[in-house]
Amino acid sequence: MGIYIKIFFILLLILNTEARPISYSGGHTLMHFNDNMKESIYYHYSPSFKYSIGVEELNNKIFDRSETNLRFTYLVNRKNTKNSQRNFYFQSAVSTKNSNFIYGVHGDWETRRYFIGFDYKEIKNIIDYTDKHIQLGFAPYLGAYGDLHTWLMLKTKKNSLSKKQITYPVLKFFKGNVLLEVGYDKKTDWDIHLMYRF
Amino acid sequence: MIRLLFFTLLSTNLIYSDEDHHMHQHSHSHYVYVQGEKLEVDEKRFKNFLDGLTNSQVAVVNVNGMVCDFCARGIEKTFVKDKAVKRIDVDLERGKVLIAYTKDKEIDFDEIKSKILANGQNAIDFSILNI
Repeated sequence: MGIYIKIFFILLLILNTEARPISYSGGHTLMHFNDNMKESIYYHYSPSFKYSIGVEELNNKIFDRSETNLRFTYLVNRKNTKNSQRNFYFQSAVSTKNSNFIYGVHGDWETRRYFIGFDYKEIKNIIDYTDKHIQLGFAPYLGAYGDLHTWLMLKTKKNSLSKKQITYPVLKFFKGNVLLEVGYDKKTDWDIHLMYRF
Repeated sequence: MIRLLFFTLLSTNLIYSDEDHHMHQHSHSHYVYVQGEKLEVDEKRFKNFLDGLTNSQVAVVNVNGMVCDFCARGIEKTFVKDKAVKRIDVDLERGKVLIAYTKDKEIDFDEIKSKILANGQNAIDFSILNI
């Protein structure tokens, strides 16, 4: 555990701490997420450009029980250039029903054509475990503002409970305020992520 | 965790490479002359934006970090709350935001920067055109 904390703080030092919005200030986001680990509805609000607070109602498929989590996400770093954006987030959640909690980091870098993202979480539950994924993406065409945008992605994920690494294709679509991400693997079935911003 | 570190470092390097690269990449851009000023905009999109506009000022703002439609949505939502804003458009390809204001609006670049920053991007510079 100690080494993870050290690496986390090294990352903070490597990346300067210029903070940018998570969603736009005053923005609301509603998400539905479903994979082999959980199904959840998550609402969050960004009071400022630096963080979001939210509540997540989820069905934990591993331990077969429902949970309510209060979530906090903080944008540690964002780097904007003319053609790219890089983000690095700290993410956390605490259960309202017991002493379970989650913390981790999430990062991404994208241009209009390419995407690289990663996510790492420590989950303190009935059994403690880690969950991580890496996602690579490519946009086959560059749509204009207001068009339907499409991404072809490859996601690889692993958690310390199953200890198996799974790699599978993901399609991401967004238009206007709606985003849909769909992935499929024959072992873990569907990954579905639907997001609406308002 | 090592992968996490690797990809973070990789993305950092790519970004700095990208910054160097974009200084030389404007050769394929379209330029439109408005009131003697050369603007790098999509000509068709710019004409559509101006269509029907009279007695207005248009701020053409260069923005860094505007790489995704979904992420740029908040810019439009923030600016349309201003009653002096008649119309807004986002040009993702050239990283520009076009904002049409009423003629009497005193356009303040710091105000524009602040609103774009609230959406997570950085306004770099701007031009004002009188229509």
